[in-house]
Amino acid sequence: MWFAGVYVYLRPTTLEEALEALYQSRGELLAGGTDFYPSLGERLPAKPIVDITRVRELKGITRKPDLFRIGGGATWTELIKAPLPRCFDALKAAAREIGSVQIQNRGTVAGNLCNASPAADSVPALLALDAAVELASRSTVRRVALQDFILGNRKTARQADEILTAILVPRAVDDALSTFLKLGARRYLVISIAIVAVVLDIESGKIRDARVAVGSCSVRAQRLTDLEQRLRGASLSDIAELAAEQHLKPLSPIDDVRASASYRFDSALTLVRRALAQCAAKC
Amino acid sequence: MKKQLIELRVNGRPRELAVEPSKLLLETLRQDLQLTGSKRGCDDSSCGACTVLIDGVPMLSCTLLAASCEGQEITTVEGVSEHGALAAIQKAYGDWGGAQCGFCTPGFMMTVKHLLATTANPSEAEIREALSSNLCRCTGYSQMYQAIKAAIEAEQKGMDSLSQQVAK
Ligand SMILES: Cc1cc2nc3c(=O)[nH]c(=O)nc-3n(C[C@H](O)[C@H](O)[C@H](O)COP(=O)(O)OP(=O)(O)OC[C@H]3O[C@@H](n4cnc5c(N)ncnc54)[C@H](O)[C@@H]3O)c2cc1C
Ligand code: FES
Ligand code: FES
Repeated sequence: MWFAGVYVYLRPTTLEEALEALYQSRGELLAGGTDFYPSLGERLPAKPIVDITRVRELKGITRKPDLFRIGGGATWTELIKAPLPRCFDALKAAAREIGSVQIQNRGTVAGNLCNASPAADSVPALLALDAAVELASRSTVRRVALQDFILGNRKTARQADEILTAILVPRAVDDALSTFLKLGARRYLVISIAIVAVVLDIESGKIRDARVAVGSCSVRAQRLTDLEQRLRGASLSDIAELAAEQHLKPLSPIDDVRASASYRFDSALTLVRRALAQCAAKC
Repeated sequence: MKKQLIELRVNGRPRELAVEPSKLLLETLRQDLQLTGSKRGCDDSSCGACTVLIDGVPMLSCTLLAASCEGQEITTVEGVSEHGALAAIQKAYGDWGGAQCGFCTPGFMMTVKHLLATTANPSEAEIREALSSNLCRCTGYSQMYQAIKAAIEAEQKGMDSLSQQVAK
């Protein structure tokens, strides 16, 4: 449909059409709209809208021999219901606490990543799973590690003509244990003060591999690599004690309406310790 | 923005409408279809007063374009009353004081309808989780939990016993 020579609302049903529509219209992608609309407020959308909720290729969550593929249109509710191995428990727990059930029914994991809020709840869990994103344009398909995709507050490596077609999670640690904890002023409908995701790959009572990621305490979520190194090879008893202030160096929390920087820092350390203890206790 | 013809199925009836493609489902329901049961209670998609069912799933009509719902089944609170009589949940809300000012009630009705349609015998925790999507500034929620539990029992025993239970 056209208005003054400009596409205003397009609802493609295939990826090819969607990429073409995005390229031609120079518009904005609309998925669940749960970030899109609140940020618009009273204004009308300034750009043409390319609604990707009906694009077939973006649907579903699939298991491949070497990875799990979370479609670029998969909602939180789909993720919660999908049969996924244990290492996804943290991501599922994050999904259950995103907004509220209505938000989960409509909002997508890909939208959460593309919106790139420092407080995006899925990012620490996906970082801890070593996830990557697949980006397609009319002419190319590329794969970017999630670490390199989110560049800063609301900044990503996505080009204007690209669609995030899938989130890829390598199947290196299917059976690893994982835990997600977030601190907010209440349980639902809240923006997080600190978010922690932990993945522990355990073999005969010892930690073979550990991934710890913290969100909402820096412009983009961070892996605590020093702590991860400290944890590797350690035994499960008193695992929480191994986390110390110095491991939180990658974080740079800010003061804002929700919490002060020092409170955030303190909460992050407490949550990391708690998450490690809870994760180890699942063993 | 130029209007566009779209066809929506609302409460089982096909409705053809001319709307701007940027128009939200909530405004379309209220202004174009005079279905004013769904309410706008906030500006940031957080209150749930605008909840409708899209293909049976609760969603926020303030965060959806009407045009994006083409070909899907939309159920509003006006479509909840079954066979002209109040559905069990609507009756229970009245009986137990589940509504005070009533502004949030249509949204709650849709959430509860979905809960009862998908969970035969929801636990207290499941009821609370489902209701986490809707805010009420009057009741304090307890009366709603009671009403919902009563409605579930009533659905199980048939409508008659609900009246007896309330009389007790
Ligand atoms: C009341 C409320 C509570 C919330 N609570 C939380 C919470 O607890 N935790 C949390 O992390 N978030 C929360 N959110 C934010 C939001 O729900 C999530 O970020 C959600 O996952 C966004 O997905 P969406 O599909 O709705 O994205 P949209 O709003 O449709 O899009 C968001 C952005 O991503 C772009 N985009 C979407 N999909 C793609 C794609 N496939 N490829 C390229 N670009 C794309 C869009 O162009 C847009 O810029 C909340 C929002 C609301 C309204
Ligand atoms: S009007 Fe508040 S969530 Fe839709
Ligand atoms: S009854 Fe008034 S807001 Fe719920």
